[in-house]
Amino acid sequence: MNRSIKSLYLALVAGFGVLILMLGYWQVIAAGGLDERADNPYHFEKQRLVDRGRIISADKVVLAESIAYRQKGNRYYRRYYPQGALAAQVVGYATPQQGSTGLEQQYNQYLAGSYGAGAILDKLRAEQKVGADIRLTLDTRVQKTAEALIARSRGAVVVIDPRTGQVLALASSPTFDLNQVASDFATIRKRSGAPLVNRATQGRYPPGSTFKVVTATAALNSGKWNPSSIFNDTGKYVVDGQTIRNDGGTKFGVHNFTDALTFSINTAFAQVGKRLGPSRLGGEMTKFGFGRPVEIDLPSDEVAVSGRYRNGKLLSNTQRDEDAARIAIGQENLLVTPLQMAMVAGAVANGGRMQRPYLVKRVITKDGVVVKQQNPETLDSVSSAYVSSEVARMMQNVVREGTGTKAGLSGLSVAGKTGTAETGDPNRNQAWFIGFAPADNPKVAVAVVIEDTSGTGGQVAAPIAGAVMRTALSATPVQGEPQP
Amino acid sequence: MRLRTREMYFLVPGLLLGILGLAAAASARTDTLQVGPWQTSLGVAMVFVVMHAVLRLRAPFSDPYLVPIMAALTGIGLAELYRIDPALAGEQALWMTLGGIVFCAIIVFLPDHRVLERYRYVIGLTAVGLLVATMVFGTTVNGSRLWISVGGSQRVQLGELAKVLVVIFLAGYLREKREVLAIPTERRFGMNLPAFRHMAPILLFWGLALVVVVALNDFGTALLFFGVFLAMLYLATGRALYVGLGMGMFVAGSLFIWATVPRIAVRVGSWLNPFGDAQGNGYQMVQSLYALADGGLVGPGFGRALLVTPGGTPRIPELQTDFIFSAVADDLGFVGSVGVMLLFILFMARGFAIATAARDGFSKLLAGGLTAVVGLQAFIIIGGIVRLVPLTGVTLPFMSYGGSSVVVNFGIVAILLIISQRSRQGLIDAVHGAPAT
Repeated sequence: MNRSIKSLYLALVAGFGVLILMLGYWQVIAAGGLDERADNPYHFEKQRLVDRGRIISADKVVLAESIAYRQKGNRYYRRYYPQGALAAQVVGYATPQQGSTGLEQQYNQYLAGSYGAGAILDKLRAEQKVGADIRLTLDTRVQKTAEALIARSRGAVVVIDPRTGQVLALASSPTFDLNQVASDFATIRKRSGAPLVNRATQGRYPPGSTFKVVTATAALNSGKWNPSSIFNDTGKYVVDGQTIRNDGGTKFGVHNFTDALTFSINTAFAQVGKRLGPSRLGGEMTKFGFGRPVEIDLPSDEVAVSGRYRNGKLLSNTQRDEDAARIAIGQENLLVTPLQMAMVAGAVANGGRMQRPYLVKRVITKDGVVVKQQNPETLDSVSSAYVSSEVARMMQNVVREGTGTKAGLSGLSVAGKTGTAETGDPNRNQAWFIGFAPADNPKVAVAVVIEDTSGTGGQVAAPIAGAVMRTALSATPVQGEPQP
Repeated sequence: MRLRTREMYFLVPGLLLGILGLAAAASARTDTLQVGPWQTSLGVAMVFVVMHAVLRLRAPFSDPYLVPIMAALTGIGLAELYRIDPALAGEQALWMTLGGIVFCAIIVFLPDHRVLERYRYVIGLTAVGLLVATMVFGTTVNGSRLWISVGGSQRVQLGELAKVLVVIFLAGYLREKREVLAIPTERRFGMNLPAFRHMAPILLFWGLALVVVVALNDFGTALLFFGVFLAMLYLATGRALYVGLGMGMFVAGSLFIWATVPRIAVRVGSWLNPFGDAQGNGYQMVQSLYALADGGLVGPGFGRALLVTPGGTPRIPELQTDFIFSAVADDLGFVGSVGVMLLFILFMARGFAIATAARDGFSKLLAGGLTAVVGLQAFIIIGGIVRLVPLTGVTLPFMSYGGSSVVVNFGIVAILLIISQRSRQGLIDAVHGAPAT
């Protein structure tokens, strides 16, 4: 019987061998994939153990930090947002229950300290992970001004430095208190106006006449027009049997191209669009970045694509048999984000070179080691420096004597373009302003949109743009370290 | 070195493992250095010291390794229970005290296990009676009918006791029939088989195992009983063909039940694809897999994994019983969980060594069967956790929370040690002459 005893023993040992192999599969080989699964509670639970890095603005204000506390003997970290609702959609949240958004999501691996080879060593040593801080380009002084100015409406403000692409402000209204996400998310969700949506990057609005900046650049790029080209406005322009009129039915008579932008004359731009044709105008749109996602350092599902939509689906920029005359004046299913329009203004301001927008300047450990540094990056050239300076001069005229005078700043030259997208209900216009300052040496570019207003872009959006640009231009760099 | 001295040398580190584990789990709770529940540690250590002392007096020649192995396994289990809920560890320590009393009682009052052979049919009938009683009067807990309520909230798992009685019965029965079963007399289906009247008990057992699956809704218990039966049949006859046939029949029967009983089909479905219903039937399995993945290669240490929510609820339902191994795997990682499996392999090595050293058929079968029952039970529940077999509700011997399981497993070790003592005592008597009785 001793032989069978030995065989039985060996059979059982072999069985345990199989168990060990399978256990190794689950604990070592498949572990990574299991950890990443969305319904894995450990994934989020482990986040509570991490001393997440801080999110610090360009002017050294702490927007997010982790605070240690004890529960049942375990040390956990709670996320705290000292500025509450400030830049809420940009900063985002990171909670076990609601997941994560904004920069909290985009830079999670840095904030949570799981980057580089150190992460694996930490796991082996079972050491506590410490996240790195992220330093923003965003300036809370500009952000606060922007948020205050749009607080009582729905809308968005985007402020960028056109020379670098650094985002100085990204405001969206209505907003929410980031500290409330963990405690009372249901209330935030129930609130009207979708406060969780980042209108600056996700809001898709008809651009109205602000799109004429794109058309003007395209016109000058084509060489067929210059700022002095003469048009004759009869108050209407018929294309494919449909009549395009000017705002308020005004007749402008004989005027030049600069006047056309200054007073936002639809008939002139419709003619330009018709002559450029859909493929040429579409090609210019592509150079401005329409039709593809903006490469900004935010989660891709929080950035909408600007372009032409039909039934919710994005169309190609250069689709044939399209009504280029209406596209030229910002109609024909065009939907754009405020971020995209700020980039349009920024490209004109920066001598025709469009810079990639970014929010995080650098990632830096608590010991001061720079983990990641973001340098300015040129995306595309929309026009020659000469053409952009011509367009800039035309836009300067808009603020000096045209529809955008309310964006004017004393002692400074401002360039811009207004837009008023009408919806049929006179109380539900979308008011736009895009522009930059100082016009001769641009340091700041802006896009403002206000939803559901009875006013026009010149009345409602332009003054906000002016005030925000003034704040941005007067904001001096802050030295030293952030105050906790 | 004398055997009991050797036992003591191994018992000290075995006990220290549990005591330090408890201290580590307690320290993890507060993030400061703690001694842990010293009353529990001291109490359990005392139980093992008393067991050691009784062995010194009554079974000095018995195997010196089993008790230290048992101490290590129960110690790790106790530390894991403490980290799940300190109250569980306190209760488990009481069960271990009761287990120790049963252990000592067996050592003292059962000087010769061979008397059991005489009562094999009574014991066999008792086992059947216990199982039938469970089927009839059983309380359904977590979908399985394995418990009998004995007043208040106390429940007894009669199946745990029944499994030992079945092993005793089989040891006696197979010792009696091993010759006729081992020698084939008829040729059927191209195989050499023994006469049908000798085969009948096998078929009866097969049928019974399947009835248990359906009636108790517990695949694990059925697999354990049937597996132990096949293992002992193999020990008795040395014929692997029976094992193959038996396993084939069991699989065929299970497939038939799977195809016909919808409730079982659901369980099999959640075994094959737990992620398909991760919030429903697959929940337990999926949470356990997440725990395994979380443990990784080395794990964070006793009490440091996130097995329990801040509110105090274990993330895996039945963590303290069926899933205690997942807790070990999470806290101690792959390295620690392999360590536990190696302890079970060591346990089997000693148990089968006792069987090999035993000098009569009944003792060999009894020791082999008891060892196989512990090894198989560990294999089945760990196999369920790694998804080798469908998830089952059997306990992990020595580690899972539960009085019935603890007491019965302590009893099993006691019987193994008695067998070991008898065979070596016999050897000594043969050399030096039997003492006058």
